[in-house]
Amino acid sequence: MFCLRMRGGLKPALLLLACLTMRAADPAIHWLAGAVEVINVAAGESGVSPAEALVVFAEQEHATMVPPIAGTTRRSGDRLRFEPRFPFTPGVAYRAEFRPAGRPVVVARFRVPVDNAPPSTVVREIYPTARELPENHLKFYVHFSAPMSRGGAYQHLRLQAAGGEPVELPFLELDEELWDPSMTRLTLLIDPGRIKRGVKPLEDIGPVFELGKTYTLTVDAGCRDASDRPLAAEYRRTFRVTAADRSPPDPSNWKVTPPRAGTCEPLVVDFDKPMDHALALRLIRVRGESGNVAGEANLTDAERRWTFVPQHAWPSGAHAVVVATTIEDLAGNNIGKTFDVDLFEGVQRRIATPSVSVAFTVE
Amino acid sequence: MFALALVASSARAGLTTGMKPGKPEFKAMSQLAFAPEGVIFIADTKAAAITAIALDDTKPAAGSATLKAEAINEKIAALLGTSADQIIIEDLAVNPASRQAYLAVSRGKGPDAVPVLVRVKSGGQPEIVSLEKVRFSRAELPDPAPDSAPAAGQKGGNRRLEAITDIAYVDGRVLVAGLSNEEFSSTLRAIPFPFQTVARGTSVEIYHGSHGQFETRAPVRTFVPYKVGKEQHLLAAYTCTPLVQFALNELQPGAKIRGKTLAEFGNRNRPLDMIVYQKDGKDYLLLANSARGVIKVAAEQITPNAESITGRVAETKGLKFEKIDWAGVTQLDQLDNRYAVVVRTGTGSALNIETLALP
Repeated sequence: MFCLRMRGGLKPALLLLACLTMRAADPAIHWLAGAVEVINVAAGESGVSPAEALVVFAEQEHATMVPPIAGTTRRSGDRLRFEPRFPFTPGVAYRAEFRPAGRPVVVARFRVPVDNAPPSTVVREIYPTARELPENHLKFYVHFSAPMSRGGAYQHLRLQAAGGEPVELPFLELDEELWDPSMTRLTLLIDPGRIKRGVKPLEDIGPVFELGKTYTLTVDAGCRDASDRPLAAEYRRTFRVTAADRSPPDPSNWKVTPPRAGTCEPLVVDFDKPMDHALALRLIRVRGESGNVAGEANLTDAERRWTFVPQHAWPSGAHAVVVATTIEDLAGNNIGKTFDVDLFEGVQRRIATPSVSVAFTVE
Repeated sequence: MFALALVASSARAGLTTGMKPGKPEFKAMSQLAFAPEGVIFIADTKAAAITAIALDDTKPAAGSATLKAEAINEKIAALLGTSADQIIIEDLAVNPASRQAYLAVSRGKGPDAVPVLVRVKSGGQPEIVSLEKVRFSRAELPDPAPDSAPAAGQKGGNRRLEAITDIAYVDGRVLVAGLSNEEFSSTLRAIPFPFQTVARGTSVEIYHGSHGQFETRAPVRTFVPYKVGKEQHLLAAYTCTPLVQFALNELQPGAKIRGKTLAEFGNRNRPLDMIVYQKDGKDYLLLANSARGVIKVAAEQITPNAESITGRVAETKGLKFEKIDWAGVTQLDQLDNRYAVVVRTGTGSALNIETLALP
């Protein structure tokens, strides 16, 4: 770099301007939001294509010969600009290389800063909330306060009998994991082979739950949320195991407390035992004389009580609670059919109708 | 994922009938399968749909078809501009027309994960398969329980999803095994292909008849088509371990299929992938398990009159099987008559992709 020496009388700004225009600038790599740029790419350096001239890598743990990041590189004036196909990931070590023809390679490294906010996601609830579960209990729903990450969910779950021995492989482990679309709810299925009578796995390592024992289900804080942060706290749920439930739920045994006409009082339905949380919210509707009644359903009392608050005041007249027969209790029994059907006992086959109704009158 | 390991399929005229050029949309790429003529099926659990794409990849690639790439998960992560712990390899399938390996990859592990289709070239380098402009057709999976409309006003929207655990193409139909995240149900759907305007298909429930006494709905984890005599059958591995057989023509609307239990491999076997291949004129079944490695079964034991296991078993009974020393296999598919392609664990957290000689 050199500057013309100017004799006195000229303003310092002019001097500076003269210096800049005369400078042979070196190319430099800059990181921008979502892109990488090389500035001062002189005209003579266009011997290689833009894609070959500017290459960005995401450095990996073991592999050394890795492909460059997918993206597009464009030239405009004295700048080369690389935009990655997918956004840069926080914490990853990136390396950009500017490779002009016949000149030394310019290398620059950067990382997108990781958000250092403390962990904040927690388990909000685990259903069923009942503290007594049948020996042939089938399913848990773990609700998180924020979206989670997939992969390795089962490593962070522990089911222990009182006295501390962990139950070996209690849950059905699927690569897919059974999340809902928002990834705030994880479904855990007890391995059915450990429940179904007469099946080898049961004879191999025994049932998951044993009558009379107390168990603790732990979700440890190592679970990662969608921002890749661990949970803010571990979560534990303790329950006692009671006798196996092999009786199909029967809505004719449910107690329906009708609301009063002209009000928005809740309709209350008391089940004869706890029902599956997700299915009870999805598979029960209210029908009035002019079709389905719009409103909001809730479960309380350890999923024994279903309440329904209508959007508009109840009209008087005949109504019905309509229940799909695919609803399940905690042991997976459906209306009209137990979870595992004993052929020798001649248990009646599943009711052919898709739903049953319990009528009530609003007055 | 399974492979069309049977006799080379005669070209099925018009597999790409009805496909239109465009850019297919995906919320996820959960499972892959191939039909002849380079047609790939991509199952999308989040969108509850199957998309068929005519890939422009119908001739065997130049160079050796055998493959060995270490840390393929890191190479794919590098290509996608992230770290290996931020990607998930969902499924592996080999295009029988070109013998190229394809991977369904998830970039990201949260609800905003982006699905990417990757092809692994014979040199071991991955490349993104562009789906910007391809010929494709799409079938949406019908709601298996249409009477379960969400209660009006239910907050949070529908949380129900059916995880697609396996898909396969057989004789003009795409078979899809699904497992619900709410009701304990496993379905197997057969959707005619080429997809029709209303591609609904038949849905059946699979029951596992355990030892003749109790039966219940059983989640199918992976399955493979197999011809027994002249009849097309399916061999299915359930999540509760047994290997079960049933005839494809049992897939009639509303049917309750009770498979014939052929073998119990013991509890810690959680089946991942199955293929059927031929060696020295005989058929063999290769089944990859998550914890216990790979099992080889002589398929001639699976005859039309194969005994169903109906009594209690004290130890593993049924088909005789042989343990194969392929450790750490997470994905398996057939390459050709001599080789399989596997993804398996390598050093540390690295996953390797390689071809292995069929045992």
